[in-house]
Amino acid sequence: MRRQYAWRSYSLAILMAMIGLLVPVQIIRIQTSQDVDDLIAQGNRYAGYYHTYYPKRGEIYDRSGHLLAGNKTVFEIGVDLRNPYIDAHTIALTLSVHLGLDYNGLFENLENPKEGEYYIVIEDFVPATVADELEALKAKLEEEAEVNNESHLGTLTGLEFKEHLQRSYPEGSLASNVIGFVTLEGRGYFGVEEKYNNLLSGEPKTVWVPSDPNRALEIPNVQDGTTLILTIDRELQASVENILDNALYTYGAENGSILVMNPGNGEILAMASTPRMNLNEFWNYEAIYDNASEFNRPISMPYEPGSTLKILTAAAALDNGTVRPDTTFIDTGVYNASGATIRNWDEKAWGEQTITGCLQHSLNVCLAWIANEMGASSFYDYMQVFGLGHPTGVDLAGEAAGRLKIPGDADWYPVDLSTNAFGQGVSATPIQIMMAASSIANEGKMVTPHVLQAMVQNNQQYNSSPQNAGSPISAETAQTLSEMLAVALENESSMALLPGYRLAGKTGTAQIPNKNGYYEYGTTNASFIGWGPVDDPQFMVYVWLEKPSSSIWGSETAAPVFALVAQDTVIALNIPPDNIRRQISAGR
Amino acid sequence: MQNFNRFIHAYKQAPWRTQRQRIGVFLLGILLFSMVAALYLNITAKAAIVGRQIQESETQIAENKRANANLESEIATLLAKENVEERAFSLGYQIVVPENIEYLVVPGYVASQPFQLAMPPSPKQHAPTVPPEYTQSLLDWLDQNLFTPAIVAGGSR
Repeated sequence: MRRQYAWRSYSLAILMAMIGLLVPVQIIRIQTSQDVDDLIAQGNRYAGYYHTYYPKRGEIYDRSGHLLAGNKTVFEIGVDLRNPYIDAHTIALTLSVHLGLDYNGLFENLENPKEGEYYIVIEDFVPATVADELEALKAKLEEEAEVNNESHLGTLTGLEFKEHLQRSYPEGSLASNVIGFVTLEGRGYFGVEEKYNNLLSGEPKTVWVPSDPNRALEIPNVQDGTTLILTIDRELQASVENILDNALYTYGAENGSILVMNPGNGEILAMASTPRMNLNEFWNYEAIYDNASEFNRPISMPYEPGSTLKILTAAAALDNGTVRPDTTFIDTGVYNASGATIRNWDEKAWGEQTITGCLQHSLNVCLAWIANEMGASSFYDYMQVFGLGHPTGVDLAGEAAGRLKIPGDADWYPVDLSTNAFGQGVSATPIQIMMAASSIANEGKMVTPHVLQAMVQNNQQYNSSPQNAGSPISAETAQTLSEMLAVALENESSMALLPGYRLAGKTGTAQIPNKNGYYEYGTTNASFIGWGPVDDPQFMVYVWLEKPSSSIWGSETAAPVFALVAQDTVIALNIPPDNIRRQISAGR
Repeated sequence: MQNFNRFIHAYKQAPWRTQRQRIGVFLLGILLFSMVAALYLNITAKAAIVGRQIQESETQIAENKRANANLESEIATLLAKENVEERAFSLGYQIVVPENIEYLVVPGYVASQPFQLAMPPSPKQHAPTVPPEYTQSLLDWLDQNLFTPAIVAGGSR
């Protein structure tokens, strides 16, 4: 009886075994079928996606922690063509209204996408407010469609919003010449943004992101860009920019620059330049500037500095022993230099003068004599050690080197020794003069100017340390010259003086050569370099006004501007007047 | 030999006994296999859930970072020099001039220190390591413990 019905069990077992066997057979059939490539591609489409991880660009802060450059959220708006419910008409119409795009072009792109295209970027860098409006509209339309049980026609289904960050500058145009800007492509131009672009931007990574949750750990950990803390003081920067803008108006100057630096460590506290631009509207760059060197004049635009350079000539002559402070010189008003006649700024003879008097009255004849007494070799050796003709190495993009012709150059003539001594025939940027002069204010040691105070990487702060740029003169020479320049200012009752503070400095008024190399009458570059307090220099200021029209003289234009900057600087840096400072020091 | 004869005898007497024993062994194997499979399935499912949570957390972290950056910018815009100055003027504040400043000696006063956004780098730092028990799969564990020969040469392990 049992055997009679055994065939049923056998049949069932065979059937089950065949079903079991069919599974691997089907697997093998699919794996070896002609459509295998298509099937694999279809599978891969949902297995993950390529994604470029852009690290957050590092922020830029001022020395007190005020954000100068940050990031704001913007949106990339696109359409997922894989969505079967796309209504091209509604999407094109809505986006043409909200984003001002061409309806026909949009509609055509959505209706007839390129072969293999499954996502279209409609617009990038859309402000969050606009994207929020569109997202709310999309949600509302879809909700209505579901409530009314309608199809998705008339909705924005398929419209995608992808958040990402864009550079933002909360202070607008403040310190724009120092910061620079970042374009939509994420590349930094000018200033800190260009100089430290690699650090700030981090390293973008394009990777395959698997949808498989078991491979979640394969998502790369992209490090954010390095955050920078600058030496710039926001309050002082704003104040200096304000002073500069007012000075251009008051003295009718075409453009100007003001630099404030700590001569002890090279920290740049403020750097103003005109014109400036709102960094949030960087696309206006070409409308504002004619060429790149105008973006940050104090470092990019060399000019003949005129008499401010006399302090370097005097420093060199004092240091090598050619003159002493009390060395006398009989000024006849004329000096014959290799066939050329050198005259004073007023074309007058000043009679017997000490070297301090020569600096006080800014006598070209005297300084030309000093340079010739030194000799070309010694003079140019000193000028080169002062860094003229070479970039200072300031950590800002676009620094110019200026030009110092030296004996042996094809375009150097013996008369250049005399003219170079009072700052003509040589070109330098304000920051170069400042770096050279830092040796006088800093006991003979020259410092490299810099704007980076610290960088923050992986939640760790690395502070930068001052860079010594050499010691062109001795501490004794520096102290002597500093005192001479302070006395010169006091004797002259200079407009650069600041009550309560003893300051040292020098004016500069330089004629401007035209394209043919001839100096134009009536147009000058007015400059002033000064520092203080003389017994403990904590700030150094350089003022450069281009072509002032109310007066051509630095003593009447740049010098009073220096006094205003010095006044705001002592307040910003909490430097009390000399007598109080001495009392405090004595009390310690 | 005696046992073998007994087994033959028993099989002849009642063949279903040995069949039942074989079936029992077979079922026991299936039970063990099912237990391992269930355990593996359970662990794999948990790993998948955790993986999904990691993916979601990564997305959330990225969104939070973006939101924070955006908020930082918004706060900085509100506290921008121009805005703060405007508010200060509206509240009656004036720009300070040297004549209005009085300097006082305050014992114990510490001047403002350089801005510190993060801690300075510590001399020694070790990256935290995750024990393999938390990362390797069952197959990895089997491969490591059963199929990979232990290194004994040279006395080092």
